[in-house]
Amino acid sequence: MIYLDSAATSLQKPEGVQYAVISAMNNLASPGRGSHGAAMRASDECFACREAIAKLFNVSQPENVVFTFNATHSLNIAIRSLVSRGDTVLVSGYEHNSVTRPLNAIGAEIIAVKTPLFDTKAFLEEFEKRLPECRAVVCTHVSNVFGYILPVEELARLCRRAGKPFVIDASQSAGVLDIDFQGLGADFIAMPGHKGLLGPQGTGVLLCKNEAKPLLYGGSGSSSRVQTMPEFLPDRLEAGTHNVTGIAGLHAGVNYILRRGTASIRAHERELLELTARRLLDTKVLRLFYCPDERCQSGVLSMLPDEMYCETLGERLAERGIAVRCGLHCAPLAHETAGTLDSGTLRMSFSPFNSAAECAEAADAVIKILKNT
Amino acid sequence: MQHYIIMCRSLTYAQRASRALERSGIFASTTKAPQEVTKEGCNYGVKVRAHDLDRSIGLIRNIGLPTGRIIGLDEYGRALVVSE
Repeated sequence: MIYLDSAATSLQKPEGVQYAVISAMNNLASPGRGSHGAAMRASDECFACREAIAKLFNVSQPENVVFTFNATHSLNIAIRSLVSRGDTVLVSGYEHNSVTRPLNAIGAEIIAVKTPLFDTKAFLEEFEKRLPECRAVVCTHVSNVFGYILPVEELARLCRRAGKPFVIDASQSAGVLDIDFQGLGADFIAMPGHKGLLGPQGTGVLLCKNEAKPLLYGGSGSSSRVQTMPEFLPDRLEAGTHNVTGIAGLHAGVNYILRRGTASIRAHERELLELTARRLLDTKVLRLFYCPDERCQSGVLSMLPDEMYCETLGERLAERGIAVRCGLHCAPLAHETAGTLDSGTLRMSFSPFNSAAECAEAADAVIKILKNT
Repeated sequence: MQHYIIMCRSLTYAQRASRALERSGIFASTTKAPQEVTKEGCNYGVKVRAHDLDRSIGLIRNIGLPTGRIIGLDEYGRALVVSE
C-alpha cells in the first residue's frame, strides 16, 4: 500500500515505536500510583517522555507537558480554560471541527478570518483588524485540508501585544515544523501524539502555562484526601489512568524526531509535495491547491477533479492500493473559506516514510484514472 | 536516621529533583511518603541517604524546586517528620 493519509494518522512508525509499546505492555503498570517496580518504571517512562517533548518544543519544565488522549481532548481543555459563554473568539478560516465545535458548545461568538488560501499578507491584515474585538484567539498552525501554514509567530506577537490569550492547534505541524513554546508565548499548544509525532493513536499532548481548568475529574495519584483536582500541573489535567503503552510509543516517536530533526522531515515532505504537484499541475483534469512558496504550505496537498467526485477518485485509488482521504476532512470552515464546501477535496498527505517513487506512482494513477473517464 | 525523604509538590517535581541529584552523583530515588506521616494522601518525595541530605536540599532548591517536609527513616523503615 502507498499510504498518503498521514494528516489523519501516521501509519508507518519508526521501528522503536512498536517495540516500546510491546515492552510497555509487558513491563509497565500505572504511573504515579504504586511504589512497586512496575509502577515506578511507568512513572519514569512518562517523565522521560515529558522531558523529550519539552526538549522538542522548548518548554521550560516537563510538568507543563500534559498528556491527553488526542488533540481534540487537548483543545477542549485549552478552550474551556479560556472561553466562557458569550465570549468572542477569533479563529482562522481554516479551523477543524475540533476547534469550532467546542466553541459552539460553550456558546462563544466566533469570528473567522476568512482570507484567500496561501495569502498570508491578507490574513495578517484582517487578523490584526479583528483582534481588538475578541476575548481570545484559537488558530491552527497548519490547515489539515490544504497544508496552509498560518503565520503563528506573527499572530503570537500580535496577541502578546494586545494581551489576548492564544491557543495554537498544532495537529498538523507538531513533529514537522519548528515550534518554540517559550518563544511564542502562547497560552496553550495542542497536538495529537499519533500524527507528526509518530506515536500510537490514543495519545495527545497539551503544552500549557500554569492557568488551566480540568476537563476531567478523578484520581490523579496525588493529594488524594483533597476532593478537588490538584492545583499543580500536570496532575491537575491528568485525571485517571494514563495511556502508558501509548506514551511509551509516543516517547519513541519523539526520540526519532529529535534524532532526525524537524528540518529534515519538513524538507522531505515538501520535496514529495512538490514532486506530486509538478506531475499534476499541467494535466488540466483537476484543480490543485498548491503553493510554490514553501513557507506557506507543508506536506498536505488537496485537489479537486474536474469531471469526477473526489470520493470516486479516492475509491479508484484505493483499488490500486493508494490510500488518500476525501471529503470535508472534519473542517467545513476551511472548505467554506476556500470555496470547496460543496465538493470537498481529495487530500494527499505525506510522511517521513514516503518515498519519491510512491508519490510519483500516486500522481500517475490520478492522471490515468481521470484521463480514462 | 538512615535515609530521609525530601517531600516535593508533585510526582513530576520529585522526578525532576531525583534526576538532578543523580546528575550530581547523589543516589536518589522517587518514593511515595507514608500516608500515616503525611496525612495528605499520595504524596511523593525524593529518598536520599542521611549524609546526602543537606547537599540534596541545596541542589534541589538550586534548580528552582521548592522542598517540603523532611521525613526521616530509621533502620527499621519507621518514618518521622523531622522538619516541616
